[in-house]
Amino acid sequence: MDTPAATPASRTFNVPATASAADGAQTLIEIDSFDFYYGAKQALFDINLRLADKRVTAFIGPSGCGKSTLLRCLNRMNDLIDGTSVKRGNVKIRGIDIYGRDVDSIELRKRVGMVFQKSNPFPKSIYENITYGLRIQGVKSKARLDEVVEKSLRGAALWDEVKDRLHESGLGLSGGQQQRLCIARTIAVEPEVILMDEPCSALDPIATAKVEELIHELKKQFTIIIVTHSMQQAARCSDQTAFFYMGKLVEFGETRDIFMNPKNPQTEAYVSGRFG
Amino acid sequence: MPPDHTAAADNTGTPSPIFAIQKARTRFFGLTFDETIRVFFGGNAFVAVIVLALITFFLFREGSQFFGQNRDSLRTYRLAGLEYVDIIRQQEEDHTALTRYLFDIRLKAVVKLTEEGVDAAEAKRRLAKFDDYAERYGDTIVPVRGLVSELTEVATDIKTRYNENEDYKVARQQFLASGMKAEAEAIVVKNLDFSREILAITGTFPAYEQINTEYAEALKAAIAELPVLPVPELQPRLERFRELNREYLATFPTRTELLKNWNNNAPVGWSESFTQFIFGTRWLTASFWQDWYGIIPLFVGSLMISAIALFIAVPLGVGAAIYVNQIATPQEQKLIKPAIEFISAIPSVVLGFFGIAVLGQALRALSQWEALSWVPGFPYSERLNALTAGCLLALIAVPTIFTLAEDAINNVPRAFKEASFALGASRMQTIVRIIVPAALSGIVSAVLLGLGRVMGETMVVLLCAGNRIAIPDFTAGITAFVQPVHTMTGIIAQEMGEVVRGGIHYRALFVVGLVLFFIALLLNFLAQKIVRKYRISIG
Amino acid sequence: MEKSTFWVFRLATYLILIAGFSVFGDIVVKGSATVFGAFKTTSTFPYFTNTFLTEAPESLYVFEHKGEKREMGDREYRAFREKETAAALAAGQPAPQFKADSYVYSAGGIWPCIVGTVLLVVGSMTIALLLGVSSAIFLSEYARDGAFVRFVRLAILNLAGVPSIVFGLFGFGMFVIYFDWNVSLLAGWFTLAFMVLPVVITASEEALKAVPKGFREGSLALGATKWQTIRSNVLPYALPGILTSSILGIARVAGETAPIMFTAAYVVRDKLPWDVEKISDFFFQGVMALPYHIYVVSSKIPQNEYTARVQYGTAFVFLGIVALIAASSIVLRNKLRGRYKW
Repeated sequence: MDTPAATPASRTFNVPATASAADGAQTLIEIDSFDFYYGAKQALFDINLRLADKRVTAFIGPSGCGKSTLLRCLNRMNDLIDGTSVKRGNVKIRGIDIYGRDVDSIELRKRVGMVFQKSNPFPKSIYENITYGLRIQGVKSKARLDEVVEKSLRGAALWDEVKDRLHESGLGLSGGQQQRLCIARTIAVEPEVILMDEPCSALDPIATAKVEELIHELKKQFTIIIVTHSMQQAARCSDQTAFFYMGKLVEFGETRDIFMNPKNPQTEAYVSGRFG
Repeated sequence: MPPDHTAAADNTGTPSPIFAIQKARTRFFGLTFDETIRVFFGGNAFVAVIVLALITFFLFREGSQFFGQNRDSLRTYRLAGLEYVDIIRQQEEDHTALTRYLFDIRLKAVVKLTEEGVDAAEAKRRLAKFDDYAERYGDTIVPVRGLVSELTEVATDIKTRYNENEDYKVARQQFLASGMKAEAEAIVVKNLDFSREILAITGTFPAYEQINTEYAEALKAAIAELPVLPVPELQPRLERFRELNREYLATFPTRTELLKNWNNNAPVGWSESFTQFIFGTRWLTASFWQDWYGIIPLFVGSLMISAIALFIAVPLGVGAAIYVNQIATPQEQKLIKPAIEFISAIPSVVLGFFGIAVLGQALRALSQWEALSWVPGFPYSERLNALTAGCLLALIAVPTIFTLAEDAINNVPRAFKEASFALGASRMQTIVRIIVPAALSGIVSAVLLGLGRVMGETMVVLLCAGNRIAIPDFTAGITAFVQPVHTMTGIIAQEMGEVVRGGIHYRALFVVGLVLFFIALLLNFLAQKIVRKYRISIG
Repeated sequence: MEKSTFWVFRLATYLILIAGFSVFGDIVVKGSATVFGAFKTTSTFPYFTNTFLTEAPESLYVFEHKGEKREMGDREYRAFREKETAAALAAGQPAPQFKADSYVYSAGGIWPCIVGTVLLVVGSMTIALLLGVSSAIFLSEYARDGAFVRFVRLAILNLAGVPSIVFGLFGFGMFVIYFDWNVSLLAGWFTLAFMVLPVVITASEEALKAVPKGFREGSLALGATKWQTIRSNVLPYALPGILTSSILGIARVAGETAPIMFTAAYVVRDKLPWDVEKISDFFFQGVMALPYHIYVVSSKIPQNEYTARVQYGTAFVFLGIVALIAASSIVLRNKLRGRYKW
């Protein structure tokens, strides 16, 4: 059992020493003195963070604070943007440096899935949307694909709603359903980590509630990191919360502590709605 | 697919503890499949660069030897004494021009007399003295003309023999190269000794001097006593004629000096070959005397037609762009934009055909209409001329200018327009003072690209420009615009099919192509530069 | 004041349209008579034919016979003359004298030109699409801003401005002479393909850019490789757009004369392109082409009532083909714009 009591993060930010190990979870992701640049502009400053396995972590902070950037660093989606670079530090998942020389970012993304702010089902049928990830890995067996479709849709609490129209276009679903379809699509490839980049920002409250419920279910199987603008959402569905400001990690700890008893005055100002 | 992942996927719900993200892809030549594809596409993108390079290369490859060949041609021109003859010929031509001046005066006098109601016979009688004088004046040149035609024959002969010999040499080389020694031996190459041959020409210098002195005397005598014209108003023109003759006479010593010092062995430099092309005013091919490859007449023709085309197309194109973007209703926009796009799809050869079949005649008929006789150059008689081609090219340039100008106007931030309205400006004021200036650089670059399109257009000018290879006569001012001209694109299209591959004429056409190519690149470059500036200014 | 200025602009706009459509109208009106006048009934299916569209060009002979003015195509004229001469001889009369004015290409039809144009367009567009779409995929999907890409873009931009006659010269210098392909389909294909390349690249890139970023991100986040993403999640959605915009390129290829003048076009050729001994001969033969035929008939033969038929007819057919292509591009594009809203 790893105890992150002596991590740089906890030292720097006075996070309670037992924060991430409170319920005995294992550390999955370790981020150490991580600096990230868009061209010449530094976007992330010396991030140190330990994220536990099978937990929900929320990244909060005002716009442009770097929370989405950090999220996209975790499956190297930022590689696809011109001029981005990691200047210092590293990110390890299960002890493997994902920015290491011999790491294949494609393989990484199979293990670290992502759900985007704007739901982006492909303009294909629901069935094809779900099986896309497996097909590109070369899975051809019809039985196996059918099985995965049902399991993933059930896992995303969408099965009952769409089971009769699996071969209709995914674009015909409502916004909330589309987002859950994207989640189903992601869990179909069995990642270990699911990154969610403001998954509910375009949804109405009812659809949001469904997705949040789903997140609760999913954390039994997956490690989830969610970037959100809504503090209520962070409070409702995350176990731990990290607060970012101006590209720096300001405070990290149990969600309850961050909201009820923040250590840092900036955190307090933000969570109490005084800025951001 | 890494095996461990399959295991994980089968083993639902329990992800493998091993986090296998290491590279494990098959590689060929150190590249993965994906990287190979990337390289493949990148290579394709590079095709554009390659094509551009190839165009440059092949134009240079075929054209580069032109300057060498032109230099050889000019050298022969000098060695064989053609240049010497042309110096004297120039004197003769100047005299002919002066004679023409006299005829011009006579024509004016006849017109004047006819207006006064004098009949033709009477006019002729009254002008008898003048005619007599003109005839005597014209005859003064006869000895010089005789000399020139004599020398022309001599020089042509030398040049012909030289060229024949060169051909023999080539043939001999070819025989030798293919191992046919006997045949090679059979060819007798008589090398021409130019310095001896030329004596037949330069040896006539004393004779020329004498003829020339007599000629000068005769001229002086001729201008000493001018005839009296029956039309007194024209008398000043005769005075002017005298003045022109004095000027002409003043050139005699330099000419004699030039002939005296002329040397058929004077070297012909590269620069001479180059300037003869770039600044040469004659494009004269397949001539028995001497071929000239001067691009100026073609360049001026292209420029003139482009000027006409832009003169018409810029107001129309920009006006239409303003109208469609700022004034027209949405329905009108929906109609006009595709319609103009449609016009741009009319193939240029069809437009050229239309010019030959309809527009040429229509414009000529229009020019002969009384009510339009005030237009300079109207009426005219050539059906196919710069104006016909220019009008059709305008139709080609309009869609380009319209589309790009409309884009530029569209890119003017809405806020500019709104701010202007908020200050109480009318729509017209806003358009003229805010929108057009803000879009100006975009419009200018649109015009430049339109110019590029027009300069590079071939079929219309080939069919409708009249194809007369001469610099239009600008002395008459703007009327030059209804004269037939030839263009750079037209000359390539017209003559490429008829020339000998590898010959100087063939290479000259490639050099013209090269000039066109660089003009196109230059216009493109300028247009981009202006657009880039404009982007910054809008911010 | 303001009103009148608006009218000036309006006038400019409509003047352009009038000019364009008067060209169009003139050719359609005079040319359609040739084409629609050439329908003939036949004894076999489909019981009619159009001689103008299906025959090769011939010389036209105009002559007077027994006080009647006759116009005949070359073959018909020869047959007629032989028949009349034979008849006269049989009747013991002296052979009749025929004094005919002949006008080349003014009888018969333009079938070989249509075939040639279609072959040129199909071949060159295939090459241009292969090269152009690949380049566009690279520029839009793979390329990162850098010296190489800027260089490529600059080259494309400049290539777009190169006059077509220069492409013709280049094609002549490279394919016809250096590669020794002679005046051939192959030389014409490559020359036209290179000429239209910038159009295809720009159009394809635009179509690729119109595919939402989310499709790519979604696919990549599922662990697809770049190529898998492009193949299954970008190209299929960009393809209609690519093809639609490339139709404009087809119109350009079909409409250009200057590039094929020295690379692919023959003034006249008796054989049709598929009359070849070896397959390889197919690629190394010159063809007749509509635009070049228009050039030939409008510049090499005089303008008169006998030649106008074929001149206007050819121009009409050609303009019709190009207009159809252009119109379908415009219509399709408008349709696509409505349909693909992601």
